[in-house]
Amino acid sequence: MADPHQFFDDTSSAPSRGYGGQPSHGGLGYPSPSSSHEAAFLADPMSNMAMAYGSSLAAHGKELVDKNIDRFIPVTKLKYYFAVDTVYVGKKLGLLVFPYLHQDWEVQYQQDTPVAPRFDINAPDLYIPAMAFITYILVAGLALGTQDRFSPDLLGLQASSALAWLTLEVVAILLSLYLVTVNTDLTTIDLVAFLGYKYVGMIGGVLVGLLFGKIGYYVVLGWCCVSIFVFMIRTLRLKILAQAAAEGVPVRGARNQLRMYLTMAVAAAQPLLMYWLTFHLVR
Amino acid sequence: MSGRLSTKAGEATPSQGRGSGHKRQREPGLTQIRRAACLSRRLFIILWSRTQATEQQHPSSSVPPDTFLPASYAGQLFQPASNSGYYLHSSSDDSFDEEPPLLEELGINFDHIWQKTLTVLNPMKPADGSIMNETDLTGPILFCVALGATMLMAGKAQFGYVYGMSAIGCLVIHTLLNLMSSAGVSYGCVASVLGYCLLPMVILSSCAIFFSLQGTLGTVTALLIITWCSLSASKIFISALAMEGQQLLVAYPCALFYGLFALLTVF
Repeated sequence: MADPHQFFDDTSSAPSRGYGGQPSHGGLGYPSPSSSHEAAFLADPMSNMAMAYGSSLAAHGKELVDKNIDRFIPVTKLKYYFAVDTVYVGKKLGLLVFPYLHQDWEVQYQQDTPVAPRFDINAPDLYIPAMAFITYILVAGLALGTQDRFSPDLLGLQASSALAWLTLEVVAILLSLYLVTVNTDLTTIDLVAFLGYKYVGMIGGVLVGLLFGKIGYYVVLGWCCVSIFVFMIRTLRLKILAQAAAEGVPVRGARNQLRMYLTMAVAAAQPLLMYWLTFHLVR
Repeated sequence: MSGRLSTKAGEATPSQGRGSGHKRQREPGLTQIRRAACLSRRLFIILWSRTQATEQQHPSSSVPPDTFLPASYAGQLFQPASNSGYYLHSSSDDSFDEEPPLLEELGINFDHIWQKTLTVLNPMKPADGSIMNETDLTGPILFCVALGATMLMAGKAQFGYVYGMSAIGCLVIHTLLNLMSSAGVSYGCVASVLGYCLLPMVILSSCAIFFSLQGTLGTVTALLIITWCSLSASKIFISALAMEGQQLLVAYPCALFYGLFALLTVF
């Protein structure tokens, strides 16, 4: 029999409970006493013990999750990718759209660890890809809405299909990197970050397409495709190709040629996917 | 049971003083009700003390025992509980008055809710970080219900989407804020802040009742409301988490979150 009291946080007594109080009350299956009934309830030793056990169980569970979440999701590593500020985001967006004048693409290191994105524009981050992905889903919803094709579950459909394409891309590139037996310092999260940068161009294309029709869409999408191609080549060259080739010295050898082809393939896949994921939105 | 007693009383009264008039008949009626209430209360206390097996004070008997007894007794036992409550109020005033008022028990403080609402409605005024120290979900849930209700009046029964999207959106923003800031936030705090800043969206959806928002004016209004909501939310988050140089970065995900609601409202 649910007590209506336990649905809300009891702000009168313990302000710092937050949401921790709710699971302990909900998980008890026992009515939580309000202050006036405490004398009656807690005088009964059974309910007192049950409450204490329940809350300790909830705290233990939370502790377990906190300890083990590092095994599945590397939280501290992810925090590095979100250490951004507004200036970095602005500069990076500018770089994504116009990468032709930027000279130095090398990521700066500080005692063997790469510097946080806040301090180095070349460092990859996950804020822009994540926000661009969600914005893409919203803009897709907007585009469908202006064409009277919108319904809320279409948003979920768009989201899951875009996520599926992203996962497919990451897996394909990781597989090809493995097959080519290349030693790179390109981690999976780095790869996800780089592959997520194309969503910025896609959003720009669709928005302009909504405002100015198909011509505007093709112009902006074409521009963003070329820029992301150049951006990817220049960034991945430093990660996948060997050090010597990255500095511009042409190194012969099957291995380096293979790496060059791989970089070109990854960079060329970006414009294709950009077109594939947006052309059905602009009519 | 009380029915049987009152009929017995009804049989008794005509024999007493029919000639003396109505007053006599009314007073015994009241006494009979009181006696019935007293008897049923006594029965109730006996049942209650049997389940508790301890000596209880009278006020605690007003706690509904249906939590311990099976649900089939709930209906019958509510009557004596309310009767005994009324009876106690007239006889033992102190124990009934000692109970705090219902809203205080529930933790709903209308003054606080109003203060927080006023803070949200004025995005230009700087907020202090302590405002969201107590996690209060009453206001947010009220605003979600209001949003669903105004959308219903506009012809869209989308309560499920509102609740689902607010839960998922709160989770995403909670994850993002925990990753971006050095100090963490709890889920309840995030849900509370985002829920309070949903109020301008309720205004937008009540506009949608009267005229369709699909058009230039509707789009501009929607964008304005989204900016308003996200500025308030990011202002509160920034002051609560002490993040510098990241207000726009926090405002953008909030804008996306409220943009989802605007999509639901407009289309």
